[in-house]
Amino acid sequence: MGDAVPALLSPSLPGGPLPVRRPWRTGPLWLVVQIVLSGSLLLLFLLPILALFTYAPVSHIFAAAGNPQVWASLWLTFYASGIAVLAAVVFGIPMGYLLARHVFPGRTVVESLVALPVVVPHLLVGLGLFLLVVPGTSLFRFTQSIGFPVYDTIWGVVLVMVFVSAPYTVLASELSFRAVDSRVLEAARSLGAGHATAFLTVTLPLALRGIVAGLILSWARAVSEIGGILILAYAVYPGGPYTGPVTATISVYIYDLFQNGDLAGAAAVSSLFLLIAFVLFLVVRISERSGWLPWRRGELAP
Amino acid sequence: MTHWAVEGLETDLDRFHLGPVDLDLVPGRATAVLGTSGAGKTTLLRTLAGFLRPRRGRIVRDGIDISDWRPEERALGYVPQGLGLFPQRTVARNVRYPLELRGAPNAAARTQELLARFHLTALADRYPGRLSGGEQQRVAIARALAADPGLIVWDEPWQALDVIARYELGLVLHELRETDRIPIVVVTHDPSLAFSLADAFLVLHAGQVRTRCDAATLLRAPSDAFAARFVGYENVYDPGALEGGGPGGLRAWLRERAGPEGVAFATPDLPAGPIAPPVWDGVVRRVRPGPGGLQVEVVSDGLIVTLRIPPPVTAPLPAVGGRMRFGIGSSTAQPLGPGPSRGVAP
Repeated sequence: MGDAVPALLSPSLPGGPLPVRRPWRTGPLWLVVQIVLSGSLLLLFLLPILALFTYAPVSHIFAAAGNPQVWASLWLTFYASGIAVLAAVVFGIPMGYLLARHVFPGRTVVESLVALPVVVPHLLVGLGLFLLVVPGTSLFRFTQSIGFPVYDTIWGVVLVMVFVSAPYTVLASELSFRAVDSRVLEAARSLGAGHATAFLTVTLPLALRGIVAGLILSWARAVSEIGGILILAYAVYPGGPYTGPVTATISVYIYDLFQNGDLAGAAAVSSLFLLIAFVLFLVVRISERSGWLPWRRGELAP
Repeated sequence: MTHWAVEGLETDLDRFHLGPVDLDLVPGRATAVLGTSGAGKTTLLRTLAGFLRPRRGRIVRDGIDISDWRPEERALGYVPQGLGLFPQRTVARNVRYPLELRGAPNAAARTQELLARFHLTALADRYPGRLSGGEQQRVAIARALAADPGLIVWDEPWQALDVIARYELGLVLHELRETDRIPIVVVTHDPSLAFSLADAFLVLHAGQVRTRCDAATLLRAPSDAFAARFVGYENVYDPGALEGGGPGGLRAWLRERAGPEGVAFATPDLPAGPIAPPVWDGVVRRVRPGPGGLQVEVVSDGLIVTLRIPPPVTAPLPAVGGRMRFGIGSSTAQPLGPGPSRGVAP
């Protein structure tokens, strides 16, 4: 029935005879332009990665895979980024909800503050945090006394990661919560759901897809962080500076190899890390798309 | 059976003020709320449903003042504009939702029963986004009934439906009124269904109640331009249109009968025989088929007047540009706007 409407309407449109369609005059050229432009961008993404894999001999990659120091670094990186994502869930999602649902004075200022970590160079982030918790400050002594020393520990890594990655979760949650139709929520309330129940059964399920996308971005950003970590937790000791065996996050580890002139080693560890990160990312993406979110079965229409 | 009453209800929303509104919502009766956009129709419904706090007045259910009850405590089936179906739940799980909330022991059986009643059994596993407008409406009403409401409050039920779906939904609402005996309040822009369903009409204008009356009164004496258009008066004139004109002309005659917001009269039939005075004279501007016969537009004293030739149209058709004589029954011209003749409560 809907198909008939344009056919009925179009001949009676004002403005004289309808323009003649020339479907093949501009189409292919435009398509070629699109392919060339996006192809160039894809090459830019792909070539450096190919360079890494071709530079490092396969034997080096296997050697890296057998190196316990590399595994300690990988473990540290994924463990710390996991905690950072958890922090984004605990602190970021409620903040997104607050920004989406409440109008309060200074909201624009708060929103700009949330976006700040995205634009500030990450070395500055590390420097700022460093100045706060450098040995000798009271905050250093405090974090030390509560058992979460920050300088040169995993908690420093986590702190930097949260700083640079949480904004993606806040922004994605805000947009997702805002997109939930308030009338759907009112229908739920009227059907007998209290505030909390309506949130859990309607708002959250509807916003979840966008929030998960934000969390994936946050995680990706946390894993790839180096700038702030270089300053705040270049070397990671288990219990604060110079205690126990030293590790570093994988990006710092690779940077270190490069600085020491071990190009092949750096390329090999990079390749290994890329492989693991790529597989992890793929698994998350596929599982997100293939149905553990309840309505992702191709049935949801706008 | 629940009996609802609204007494002197007033609501403020930003700068908008609604009320005072009085309503009596009795089992087996339906009330239609009419008015232009921004008249306060949705504000009234959302106040009833508990999403806006009234500034003054009471909402009473079976003698109990529930004005400050939360929406979920009111046992009222509120269907918002756009229906508010849960897009992430199937049809069956939409209908089941209120039963799940209450932990109803017979949730599955009751869901099946409601799905069957509204011919939704075959669609039980579909998602709302994949349903037609009429099917979505049936899901909304089935889901509202699953909560055992004491009152159905529906914002524009006939929005975006084709004629068949409108007709079917009309039947459903009739059944709710007659069989389930649930009082109904609907906001609607559809005159034919409003008249087929509603016993009582509430016309809102800029937050004020213009009239509260039954269908006969609304038809005989529409309260304002909106109500006049709504009930099918083709000839509606605001005071500005009635300015000027010759002495003893149509405009002067209508001015005498106008209220603060102008005057309206139903489409006069062109009788075959002699016309009762006063007789007016006009130039035919347009002839077209319309509801209930041939509509003839004539220009008389600078006003466009629509007349009707009821079927069967046997006489020669009036020619465009030709002259035509017509009469307006002096009792049919109705003043528009607030005035002493308003406020007939059913």
